[in-house]
Amino acid sequence: MIEVRLYGKLRRFTDNQDPARDSIIYIPAETGDTIEDIIRRIGIPPEEVGSTIFLNGRYVVLNRKVKDGDRLAIFPDNMAMVIV
Amino acid sequence: MSKILRVNMTDLTARFEDVPEKYRLTGGRGLTSSITCDEVPPTCHPLGPNNKITFAVGIVAGTSAPTSGRISIGGKSPLTGTIKETNSGGMAGQKLARLGLKAIIVEGQPKEKGKLWLLKVDKAGAQLQPADGFTSKGLYETYPMLFKKFSDKVAIIGIGTSGERLMSMAGICVNDPENRPSRYAGRGGMGAVMGSKGLKAIILDDAGGPGVPIANKEAFDAGRKKLVAALREHDITKPGGALNTTGTATLINVIDEAGALPTRNFSDGRFEGANKISGETLKETCEKRGGVGMVGHSCSPGCIIKCSNVYPRPDGTEHVSVQEYESIWALGANCGIDSLDATGELIRLCNDYGVDTIEAGVTIGVAMEAGLAKFGDSQKAIELMHEIGQGTPLGHILGSGAAATASTFGVVRCPTVKGQAMPAYEPRPIKGIGIIYATSTMGADHTAGYTIAPEILDIGGSVDKLVAEKSALARHFLHATAYLFDSTGHCLFISFAVLDNPSGLEGVVEECNGVLGTSWTVDDVLRMGGDIVKKERAFNKAAGFTSVDDRLPEFMKYEKLPPHNVAFDVPDTELDKTHDS
Repeated sequence: MIEVRLYGKLRRFTDNQDPARDSIIYIPAETGDTIEDIIRRIGIPPEEVGSTIFLNGRYVVLNRKVKDGDRLAIFPDNMAMVIV
Repeated sequence: MSKILRVNMTDLTARFEDVPEKYRLTGGRGLTSSITCDEVPPTCHPLGPNNKITFAVGIVAGTSAPTSGRISIGGKSPLTGTIKETNSGGMAGQKLARLGLKAIIVEGQPKEKGKLWLLKVDKAGAQLQPADGFTSKGLYETYPMLFKKFSDKVAIIGIGTSGERLMSMAGICVNDPENRPSRYAGRGGMGAVMGSKGLKAIILDDAGGPGVPIANKEAFDAGRKKLVAALREHDITKPGGALNTTGTATLINVIDEAGALPTRNFSDGRFEGANKISGETLKETCEKRGGVGMVGHSCSPGCIIKCSNVYPRPDGTEHVSVQEYESIWALGANCGIDSLDATGELIRLCNDYGVDTIEAGVTIGVAMEAGLAKFGDSQKAIELMHEIGQGTPLGHILGSGAAATASTFGVVRCPTVKGQAMPAYEPRPIKGIGIIYATSTMGADHTAGYTIAPEILDIGGSVDKLVAEKSALARHFLHATAYLFDSTGHCLFISFAVLDNPSGLEGVVEECNGVLGTSWTVDDVLRMGGDIVKKERAFNKAAGFTSVDDRLPEFMKYEKLPPHNVAFDVPDTELDKTHDS
């Protein structure tokens, strides 16, 4: 499973929308999955995803591959704070 | 023609001087550092009669340039022993500029120990008057009294009881547009220098002032338009963007996810309570509690980013302005405290006693490590703040800052450089900011070169052949910051739009050309930024600083920080190359 942490308006895709608590959804990972695949599987509209994405604490781009046990954090487009 | 106001506290005189040619084309930090280098003996005691404190306006301050109300305050720092420039938003920068003044230099020391004065400056001149009745109180009591005496249209630059008591964590306060004592030139203990001059407050009344002359209006307007467009387009700075909606505290969750949020006195890179003190929670609390709570607040007129906020109590009445990233982090995650009501109260006490929130939070973190309180115990943290406010013996130790507190209690994990507490970015996973902390002329300071965006790609990575690029990048940021932001009067936060957008960058340079009648290029401005840094380094060298001082604390070299489990491994030889060029 991949631990996906969602922030801002993307919290609505988890069962917690209270910003004071973690909004986590666990997604099974298949071999070869990229972050883009995970986002699609959760059902997040691509235009709502910003450039601030961390995989295991590292800033990454959407085509990065993911694997079982990863921690993925996705911030929405209106919470951009780090733009490279 | 702009003037410089020179105030001598020994004989209590104030006189206006013409601006020497050598200072005509500079402002802000460029001016405070030039004056400090020209007039302050580098080996003087920072709180003695030979130090001077300079208040300077940026080149475009007082004009219609967007997000440009900063005031620079400089001299020799009692916290670091280095040269210092610290700047603040609020109402003072623009009013000082519109009074036709480029700077106020305060020198000497009153003969009567403990006596404090007020300096009133208006279009008719400058007068000193006793501050009797306005001292020994919190600033939330003092500022309204001063506004009542002088009019609610003035700007006030003042110190709290910590500055009166010459504590090295004392900052200098500037009122915001609603006249709260809430904006700070916080860093480096310049409040203690102001206190050592016997100066409680400067009152600026710009009514009928001459304003700021613009030599080439066409160039200024063209530059201004470019910068406004860049700020309005950039995702971070635009209306409805991150800074405007969830404020600088948006970074709490972002830097926590990056594993670089210093937690419990720099012993972890992630804080389990991050969500509770985040920008999102701050915004929701403002909305739910209603009343006066708001995000998108401006700290000075003419700001189009508006990243400030007013935080409400549960009943909707005002608790404090402003809960921003650095303050929430320092007094929150760094102390293991996961409540915005608690950080709000601690920030309010910092504002009331007149201390720097970063230095205060890091000091309390060190005190917690020493066993004076448990991490996460907000009640005890509040009690420690009161010790500072009351000036007890323990309060004086804490009020001397994180390094003094660590030294007093034998704490090895002391996150300071040149005696100044580190801000909210862990330098072990974000090595570029570590190079900035180590090699800045002013001690650990994220605003000396905000390299976070280009550095984030390499977070948690180990140092390899890229390290030379990192020191070159650090140098570029140190130089760009010295001029583009610190000397123009613009806020550092324009950097997001300016450094990502060549047109925005040109805009800042064209604004300066418009005001000064120069024809500088971007390269000229970067070179002048480099000149400022060189001058400051020469001052520090003469004050006794060497390359050995351009280092992070030793524990960061051998303690690996979770979750990336990395130490700071930039070799000393590479740090020393940062200023080679």
